Amino acid sequence: MTALLSVEASTKRFGGLLANRDVSLTMDPGEIVGLIGPNGAGKTTLFNCISGYMHPDTGRIVFDGRDITHTRPERICHAGVARTWQVVRAFGRMSALENVVCGALQRTNRIAEARARARELLEFTELRGKDDMPAATLTLADKKRLEIARALATRPKLLLLDEAMSGLTPMETAAAVRLVRRIHAELKVTICVVEHVMEVVMPLSHRVVVLDYGVKIADGTPDAIVRDEQVIRAYLGERHAAR
Amino acid sequence: MARIALIIGALAAVLYPIPLQIQGTTYYQTVGFLVFVNAMLGLGWNVIGGWAGQFDFGPQVFFAVGAYTAALLYVKLGVDAWLGLPIAAAVAALICAVLTYPLTRLRGHYFAISTVAIWMIAQPIGATWEYIGAAQGLFIPVKPRSNVVSAALSLQFAGPTKALGYYYAALALFALTLGLMAWVERSKLGFYFRAIRDDQEAAEGIGIDSRLYKVIARSITAAVFGAAGVLYAFWALSVFPEQVLELNWSTLPIMATVVGGIGRLWGPVLGAVILIPISQIMSTTLGTGPLAGRGIDLIVYGLIIVVIAAFRPTGLLSLPWARWFGRRRSALA
Repeated sequence: MTALLSVEASTKRFGGLLANRDVSLTMDPGEIVGLIGPNGAGKTTLFNCISGYMHPDTGRIVFDGRDITHTRPERICHAGVARTWQVVRAFGRMSALENVVCGALQRTNRIAEARARARELLEFTELRGKDDMPAATLTLADKKRLEIARALATRPKLLLLDEAMSGLTPMETAAAVRLVRRIHAELKVTICVVEHVMEVVMPLSHRVVVLDYGVKIADGTPDAIVRDEQVIRAYLGERHAAR
Repeated sequence: MARIALIIGALAAVLYPIPLQIQGTTYYQTVGFLVFVNAMLGLGWNVIGGWAGQFDFGPQVFFAVGAYTAALLYVKLGVDAWLGLPIAAAVAALICAVLTYPLTRLRGHYFAISTVAIWMIAQPIGATWEYIGAAQGLFIPVKPRSNVVSAALSLQFAGPTKALGYYYAALALFALTLGLMAWVERSKLGFYFRAIRDDQEAAEGIGIDSRLYKVIARSITAAVFGAAGVLYAFWALSVFPEQVLELNWSTLPIMATVVGGIGRLWGPVLGAVILIPISQIMSTTLGTGPLAGRGIDLIVYGLIIVVIAAFRPTGLLSLPWARWFGRRRSALA
């Protein structure tokens, strides 16, 4: 099976800081991949490179057989990658429905069709009844769902979720996990989740990639990752390693 | 409720100059003309400034482009105003697209400053370019028209029906602009412009080419300004740089838009209907008599705007009209 996404030795430098160093990874169609790592490990930088907001200094990113290393975000979206944001970026002055309509207009020029699709997705993300609310007035959990609905409206093949569950209550987190599973199962979308919360990533992901100081230190099944020496060292410090 | 308000408004706009015509007070017809010119400009500015959220302080450049284009077509080639008008609007939009594309790399204040810079560059060009008459500008000769119909068809009204004719010409162009903007607001363009305004990065993430749509937004603004410039040129019968590149061609419509409700279709209309008559009344009352020449009228006018802006920064349209006047939510809002 050919990979849907392959990142090949991507390096991104900010002045003296190496945010990503020779990071390589692949995502196969139908996978849920967890991307984890301590703060500042370079997870969001990698997301930004994949989604076109930044371009790697060296290395290559190939999506669906196309080199997207230096492609702009709107073209990458058109190719089939959609993302959400660590700090939510809803269109605050537009209604929830209008937010999703904007996404749906990526695949149609007809407003009626885009509206119908947006309603379906608000239903799917359990935001029904909030169609006309200005996005800025939604709760954080609802805003995160709205971003997911808006991203799904562009009909992505790959969905990048940047901390879709951080800042949520345990109940909201459980609901968000259910939503991610439903997106995967019902919409057949390949998903990459960046997450801090281990209890979320481990049961959700088929495979986990770990970054530390900009370098990929592990890549494997959740079971293998929790036993990985380097991962334990990165998360818990030297003292806990090799116990 | 909103429909009733719309019908009453439309009827009032159509009937307004008739008693004045009978009475012979053409001055108030001209005030009406200025209301619709500024409402039209405000509708145009609302596209880039209100929906797309990019502060453009130099749209008067395209007002001038429209005025000059139509005047040149008429003076040099004998092309009538109504035919020149769509050409002038298209030329304004095209020049705007070429000038604006590089500016869309800039954001916020820097974009705003660059629009002012283009206006500053346009002034010496207008004042020195011989082909367009340099500082003297162009004069539009009035050809004798046999009747009202031919005057209307050539946009050259004269004599006792001059103010009346231009009033209706302005009303017609305003109505056309309003209709077009109502369509733009509900189209893909309207959604994309507002998405860029609310969050440019997020907009790009869902496939919106922010630079392209900013250029489209400002070019729509430029087309409206260009068309209004044509109307103004044939009303004033002349086009010269200080007049068509005057800063008021952007500040008045921008103020009207902000006072009425920025980013709302009817905002600039309401703003123009309120502000333009006030400014005219101020200058005819406070600007004459013992206080003439001291700028009292401008001070009072400025204070009125400051008070509205301070009490309702989101514009008068954002007041809860629906709660006051009807159960259903007003379509105006």
